[in-house]
Amino acid sequence: MKRYDLIVVGAGPSGLCAAIQAARYGLEVVVFDENARPGGQLFKQIHKFFGSKEHGAKLRGITIGENLLAEAAEAGVQVELNSVVMGIFPEKEVLVHREDRTEHYKADAIIVATGASENAVTFDGWTLPGVIGAGAAQMFMNLNGVRPGNKVLMLGTGNVGLVVSYQLLQAGCEVVALVDAGTRVGGYGVHASKLARTGVPFYTSHTIKKAEGEDHVTGVVIAEVDSHFQFIEGTEKHFDVDTICLAVGLSPQSQLLDMAGCDMAERGGRVPVSDETCATSEPGIFVAGDAAGIEEASSAMIEGRIAAVSAAEFLGFIDADNAAADRQEHYKALDRLRIGMFAPQNRGKVFTETEEGIPLSQSLLKRGYVTDEEVDSFGGVKHAEGWHAVVECTQNIPCNPCQDVCPRHCINVGSNITILPTINTEAKCSNCGKCVAFCPGQAIFLVNEDMGDGTAQITLPYEFLPLPEAGTKGKALDRSGKPVCEAEVVKVMNPKAFDHTALLTMSVPKEFVHQARFFKASAEALTA
Amino acid sequence: MITTADVIIIGGGIEGCSTAYYLAKRGITNVIVLEAQEIMLNGGASRNAGGVRQSGRDPRELPLALYGVKNIWPTLGEELGVDVEYNQGGNLRLGKTEEHLKTLTRLANNAAACGVGVGMISGDEARTINPYLSEEVIGASWCPTDGHANPLKTGLGFYKNALAMGVKFITGEKVLELRKVKGRLRKVIAEHGEYEADTIMVCAGAQSKEILSTVGINAPVRPRIDHCLVTEGQPHMFDTMLGTAEADFYGGQTNHGSFVFGGDDDLEGFDIYDLKTKGTSTTAPCVCRGIMKYFPKLAEMNIVRTWAGWIDITPDGVPVLGDCEEVPGLVTAYGFNAHGFGISPAIGYALSELIETGESSTIDISGLHYNRFKAKF
Amino acid sequence: METTPTIRRLSAEPFKPEPDDDLIVCRCEEVTKGELRRAVHEGLYRFPEVRRFTRCAMGLCQGRTCTKLVKGILSRELGCTIEDLQNPHARSPQRPLQMQELGNERF
Repeated sequence: MKRYDLIVVGAGPSGLCAAIQAARYGLEVVVFDENARPGGQLFKQIHKFFGSKEHGAKLRGITIGENLLAEAAEAGVQVELNSVVMGIFPEKEVLVHREDRTEHYKADAIIVATGASENAVTFDGWTLPGVIGAGAAQMFMNLNGVRPGNKVLMLGTGNVGLVVSYQLLQAGCEVVALVDAGTRVGGYGVHASKLARTGVPFYTSHTIKKAEGEDHVTGVVIAEVDSHFQFIEGTEKHFDVDTICLAVGLSPQSQLLDMAGCDMAERGGRVPVSDETCATSEPGIFVAGDAAGIEEASSAMIEGRIAAVSAAEFLGFIDADNAAADRQEHYKALDRLRIGMFAPQNRGKVFTETEEGIPLSQSLLKRGYVTDEEVDSFGGVKHAEGWHAVVECTQNIPCNPCQDVCPRHCINVGSNITILPTINTEAKCSNCGKCVAFCPGQAIFLVNEDMGDGTAQITLPYEFLPLPEAGTKGKALDRSGKPVCEAEVVKVMNPKAFDHTALLTMSVPKEFVHQARFFKASAEALTA
Repeated sequence: MITTADVIIIGGGIEGCSTAYYLAKRGITNVIVLEAQEIMLNGGASRNAGGVRQSGRDPRELPLALYGVKNIWPTLGEELGVDVEYNQGGNLRLGKTEEHLKTLTRLANNAAACGVGVGMISGDEARTINPYLSEEVIGASWCPTDGHANPLKTGLGFYKNALAMGVKFITGEKVLELRKVKGRLRKVIAEHGEYEADTIMVCAGAQSKEILSTVGINAPVRPRIDHCLVTEGQPHMFDTMLGTAEADFYGGQTNHGSFVFGGDDDLEGFDIYDLKTKGTSTTAPCVCRGIMKYFPKLAEMNIVRTWAGWIDITPDGVPVLGDCEEVPGLVTAYGFNAHGFGISPAIGYALSELIETGESSTIDISGLHYNRFKAKF
Repeated sequence: METTPTIRRLSAEPFKPEPDDDLIVCRCEEVTKGELRRAVHEGLYRFPEVRRFTRCAMGLCQGRTCTKLVKGILSRELGCTIEDLQNPHARSPQRPLQMQELGNERF
């Protein structure tokens, strides 16, 4: 039976980073993953990541995944796919199911990076076929190229619900509504607003009352709830759907750590008791990523590295001083990530203002879009002559690609990357479109308020197929998804460098320049 | 503060819960059951494969086994208001070689001599009873009145009924010491309190040893790990309980449709006694190979879970049951060697009678008395 | 860890049916909310006890879908914390596999 220095369970972002780091310290390491492809949830994440360059900002999850795999190959990490770790037995023995057999391995140390699984929620009819997890829908679309349904209702407005809803639209589904029992949209406002401007309605303080259908979902009834989550009579709303997606949170997959004898605790899910070095109560058993507690991919990657440092120290590959120093670097990277409105330490807190003292858009929190009145109070929204960027970024999250990509330094964020972007009115915009393409929140528009002929033009990020052609007529929709005026496509740019974010420039009557934020082709244009 | 009762039962497993129930049935409800764990019935009671058999037992257990199958099991579910899933589908003990058949014949004859209705049948006859057997089975012992039941529902059924009848159950209360008062066992010192009763029953599996040592009893019992596995639910295939001459595995199909099998890999006995019962990595695979030798048709069945539990072993393979002259007031029921479930209702009946009247007159348990242990010569 | 003992007490109140008692909570084994509530009412105060009696969390997914839902219902019925409910041991195999695959060992 082969005994490794280190066995890593899970080849997601956390596990791969752990293995790469461990290999660099000289450990003989193997990673087991039950999937056919490594990368965990990364390969399902087709949206561009936030954060800063060190965190993979503006790269799509799949790109980050590919980069990690290349790094792992280069570091000589052995990754065994289609290998289910069935159990961790006494003395760090690992039982692996692969193909038609069961294999025994041992290790001097184990890092468990098994991520999380989706929560379920009950309602009348929740067991009907057609009720699926949002993560499962993502798997259908992004890994298997299968549309999970045609008409979808999404329950849950955390980042998962928002991101997957957008991907459902991209896959050609109709998203009839996003629903959340809470009073506020739970995820990033920008994820919500890019949905809202396409016309998807948000229903906060609502939840599902009933899924209809005999042997599969044919419809759904939602209703408003009060502060005790009891249904309010007379507020029912019905939608015809064939799919209901549940994005109601994740739970750590910590079963293997439990099996290994680790002390466990309930912390928003059952997790092993662990410290900041990623050590559990069992010497030599470490945990990293969502299995230690739900967060997200960027922090999972750093935690994987921390766990590797600790494992290397445990096994004598590096001494205590070097381990402490290395961990310090990673702690600093985590600190640079865990800031802003959505940081783990701020979970559950109700903010009314940004760090700058600007009132947060309540409309964004309740309905998924910033109002015309609210948007003007933000420093990224300025009026000027000629082409200029309008940055509708209104919540403090750590993110700065807009600052980095602009060649003329038109957009300022600063060293504290949660600060809202502001327009540098001294700088002259070159209308290159990079800010529009690389804002992960699709919150930046290039605007020319007066073309001189009674029209204005707006360049917006466009990630839907088919890409409209120049000359296509239709309507411009406002931030809430309401059609506000006639619009015509002036041009569509889709250079390779923009990594699949096309830029659509539309012409509108100039009085609508501050409202028009999305383009929908007319029915005739679509069938022409 | 001292809590008094008529009877204190130490150990919330199936023997304790069964006895509590039968005591309550006799009107003795001032009973306290002390369970060290937070969970009732969390020992062997919830981990066994549910066999209810008379065949293959030491003659000293037979009065209990026969009484249970004849008088208790057929109506137990109705009595408890819980479907204990008692299925009298018979027990086949299988053999593939002449050596196997010799072993099985010897066991069957011994049992028959004690009044158990068991005999040898041919491989073809066995396949008529259970069509899924391998063609390689050449013979089997067959006891048509053996069967199986659901240990989880039976145990919890005893517990629920006793609770409803007024028996007190305290979980998370580990017993540290037993103490005599004026020559008679009366006191129970536990982690969080002190208790007193006229009769104290110790039925705490292998942990009985530590408890009994505090009152001067050297209990010849030790723990040994055992493993089980369970499959996905399947359409009904057969009712028979199964075993083999070489003890490759035992088990059968539950009412639910899943198969529960148990067994060992002969490497047991050297494990650390840890109530987390983590189990080994080699036993379940070994049991699978044992099963497939006799049931090739089960090879593709999905296994959803394996588990381990501690059985309490005694030098002669049968429990220590009954009262104790040198410690008046003490009653014990430990050392079931992995076959305590099937006789648990009869145990509860017998011990409740012993506690109430001073004698187990209905069922003869004299062969299981604690003073039977003697050196080999 | 300090523990305090629990005296199992039955509620003096009769079982109170609720309108959603027939809601399926464990969909692998089709265990309803009413069955779970009734088990608690009859003295089963720990998740492993309720699980063994009703078969919730004993099906194909081994509780991955229903455990959080069941624990929410049990803790509400009992007025206790999630930790108080205890847990079954985590076991191998973490995913189902065939008997012949489990028996086909390589060292």
